[in-house]
Amino acid sequence: MNPFQFSIDELEKKARSIRRKIIRLNAGSPAGGHTGADLSQVEIVTALYFRILNCAPDRTADDNRDIYIQSKGHAAGGYYCCLAEAGYFSPDWLPTYQHNDSHLPGHPVRQKTPGVELNTGALGHGLPVAVGMALAAKRDGSARKVFVLTGDGELAEGSNWEAALVAAHYQLDNLIVINDKNSLQLAGATQDIMKTDPLEDKWKAFGLNVTHCEGNDLSSVVNTLESLKAESSPNVVIANTVKGAGVSFIAGRPEWHHRVPKGDEVERALKELEDV
Amino acid sequence: MSNSEHFANIMVQCFIDAVKAGVDLVPVVADSTSTSKIKPFVAEFPDRLVNVGIAEQVMVGTAAGLALSGKVAATCNAAPFLVSRSNEQVKVDVCYNNTNVKLFGLNSGASYGPLASTHHAIDDISTMRGFGNIQIFAPSCPIECKQIIEHAIREMGPVYIRMDGKALPELHDTDYRFVPGEPSLLRKGSKVAICALGSVVHEAVAAADSLIEAGLDVAVINVSSIRPLNRELLGNMLSGMPHVVTVEEHNINGGLGSIVAEVVAEQGLKSQLTRLGVADGNYAAAGDRPYTRKNLSIDSAGIALVCQNLMG
Repeated sequence: MNPFQFSIDELEKKARSIRRKIIRLNAGSPAGGHTGADLSQVEIVTALYFRILNCAPDRTADDNRDIYIQSKGHAAGGYYCCLAEAGYFSPDWLPTYQHNDSHLPGHPVRQKTPGVELNTGALGHGLPVAVGMALAAKRDGSARKVFVLTGDGELAEGSNWEAALVAAHYQLDNLIVINDKNSLQLAGATQDIMKTDPLEDKWKAFGLNVTHCEGNDLSSVVNTLESLKAESSPNVVIANTVKGAGVSFIAGRPEWHHRVPKGDEVERALKELEDV
Repeated sequence: MSNSEHFANIMVQCFIDAVKAGVDLVPVVADSTSTSKIKPFVAEFPDRLVNVGIAEQVMVGTAAGLALSGKVAATCNAAPFLVSRSNEQVKVDVCYNNTNVKLFGLNSGASYGPLASTHHAIDDISTMRGFGNIQIFAPSCPIECKQIIEHAIREMGPVYIRMDGKALPELHDTDYRFVPGEPSLLRKGSKVAICALGSVVHEAVAAADSLIEAGLDVAVINVSSIRPLNRELLGNMLSGMPHVVTVEEHNINGGLGSIVAEVVAEQGLKSQLTRLGVADGNYAAAGDRPYTRKNLSIDSAGIALVCQNLMG
């Protein structure tokens, strides 16, 4: 059971709080950050950690806990802010993001950060490992679900499609793949660099169920995740998001892939993210 | 020889024994059911094997996921494809994540001879040595192979085992006990020490025996434990040797030749080192084993000739 089980209103408030932390965390980073990617996934990880996932900070070794894998490891900053809010470690750690010997390095490291299930950062690794976890849960008769969040640019990595074949072949209906489809990647628009559309058709052709949601709308994210059916096929949720969502001068701008807020940008962003 | 055994058969029997003993071991193959000779395991445990198809990246990633879920995951496929195709999965999913995955590099070295360089793994040791926290072993004979595999299954964490593709005879008697990290002295001598690993240990022993019969003074050291390796012990074994010759069916860069060079240099030994194997910048020839080994001077006749020349 999820220890929070937040309402949509509570989730929205939590999402704003996580966004404010993301702005401060990136502003304090000595080595840049991935502000745009951190912000696009906020509603997805907020819904998971505060309503959907059967996991909690005091059950990190529970064999039956649900698993979340941050395959888009470059959005570690956003992931850390969510984990801190959910109580996996003290928010006091957040200002150490990417500092020397920090518990919060630039990509997730499970040996350093409570709550992190897999070291990622090289793209295309989350889904194959999630397949192994989902397969193990099936064979052990566990009710565990395995959630994996990928970027959309990341889907150019062929290992994802190897894993999709295996997931469908072994009927891993306890596996939920969420694509944070913000349509931007390091060097520009995903559709210009390497087209992944029609994405739904591709997953379907590999034998996976596909559902869409508005990935920056908590009602849509929650309703979609709560209505997924486990009927022999793995599920893919294509979450249409905006990179940099929530801050007007970051949203949809490719230069914020690896930029962090500076000077008055910090206060301007925080002002936009105040609770109303 | 009548007591020869194929390493894959030993591996499969170890898997069967482990599961029967209560180990939650899951072999993961990439359409490599025949390569791994896994049929007896499947007959015994029909629902345990995972076959991901011809897809090495997801083979290793899936193994890591199984291991993170409490299983002992053992990948079994041809070494060249494991080492090259799933290089980053080995680095990240297995080593960096420190998962309990055992990687079996089957038909390693130039076992696939005539199938040519796509099918040769002459870079597996150098590749694995570049990764942190993975144990690396290269058995040379059945009893050693069995004990290395049993050790790997007992140990928590990543292990790579370089497995030859041909049946090989015994080099040890039945009271042999594999000790991780320890090189073993197979022939005593004081003028030349031949260091070898894997199947070419047999070539080294045959070469030494012919030289010893001719009155020459040659030692043979089997370095089956690459990581861990007791470097001090290896240095002590080499100490005072005028000549050291390394023999490997592997590139001379990054494998045993490099390891011995490090030990000789770091311990200030005075030995002259000769490295035999696939030379810098080269591939192994496409041909059968005797041809390939003759070509590289790692057959018994070639090794003996090199040693003779060194001793003048």
